[in-house]
Amino acid sequence: MVFWTSLLIVHGLLAVALLGAITHQAVALWWPVRAASGSFVARFRAVPSTSYVWAIIVLYAVTFVMGAWVYTHYRYTSRLALEQLRFLKTVGLFEVKEHLATIGLIVLPAYWAFWRRPLSADYAEARKQVTLFLAVVVWANFLIGHVVNNARGFGS
Amino acid sequence: MIVTNRAAMFAITFTVGYAVIYAICTEFNLPLLTYHPVTGEVDFLSKPPRSGPAMYWYGWLLTALIGATILALATTVTPERWMQRGITFGVLAAVGYLIVYSVALFIYDKATIELEFLKSRWLSAIAAIVLAAAVSLFTPTSWNERVWPGWVWVVPIGAMAVLGYYLTPYFTR
Repeated sequence: MVFWTSLLIVHGLLAVALLGAITHQAVALWWPVRAASGSFVARFRAVPSTSYVWAIIVLYAVTFVMGAWVYTHYRYTSRLALEQLRFLKTVGLFEVKEHLATIGLIVLPAYWAFWRRPLSADYAEARKQVTLFLAVVVWANFLIGHVVNNARGFGS
Repeated sequence: MIVTNRAAMFAITFTVGYAVIYAICTEFNLPLLTYHPVTGEVDFLSKPPRSGPAMYWYGWLLTALIGATILALATTVTPERWMQRGITFGVLAAVGYLIVYSVALFIYDKATIELEFLKSRWLSAIAAIVLAAAVSLFTPTSWNERVWPGWVWVVPIGAMAVLGYYLTPYFTR
């Protein structure tokens, strides 16, 4: 049990790092800073988007693999309990998370292609769209994971 | 827009193809393997649960991975304009099928006489393919080129919508 809990916590921590990276990149891309400012929000928006690409790809892949690993344990422990308790919405939410994670993963090759250096002006719009799409997927998965974990939370 | 880099062509087609194949694999349960988490055993293709639940998700991932890789490899030796047109055709056929089949079922429900043929999925599929072929054939090349990279997120959203639809019983029971 300690092993699976540790794995889940590491999965969660990686997800936090991924969330930070993709949010930084998406905000910098969609809401770039026009004039220099010392405020926290302006500095948040002023990060160089390109430098996040590989971090996001690696973090997503590793978080996905760890989540897929934890999933095996969830399937015959927590999920069975949730089904017996008739927590069907929670089970359904996890199914949504499973598919969303897959969809996010398969967008990564195209994401990488659009962000390849030197950045192509032809792909400027596609780059913005795919980055936003990935950010939405990561945020949705993070929130769903949080809610699902709360149903049968730590130590339950 | 014409992509001169074959790696980018591969990546874009892979993403679009994977989304579609994955949605099909989940709907028709086409896993390459079945994992039994309680015993740790792995079976080839779809097998029923034994000694606990069976997991098909890993199998769906692998089936879609193989399918999308073959598709993406094939497109690297296909003229790019044909590939762009092909993806447009695929998207139109999928959307067309949803519309045609929904309309057919609506007419079937409202009709005062028995129109059994309207319930046929094949008929709707053929109609959608013919419509998509006609539209995509006459779509201007410039339009195909412009929208092509956008399919990378539009098609996965469509796949997610289909997958979400099949999960609605979890939220309505």
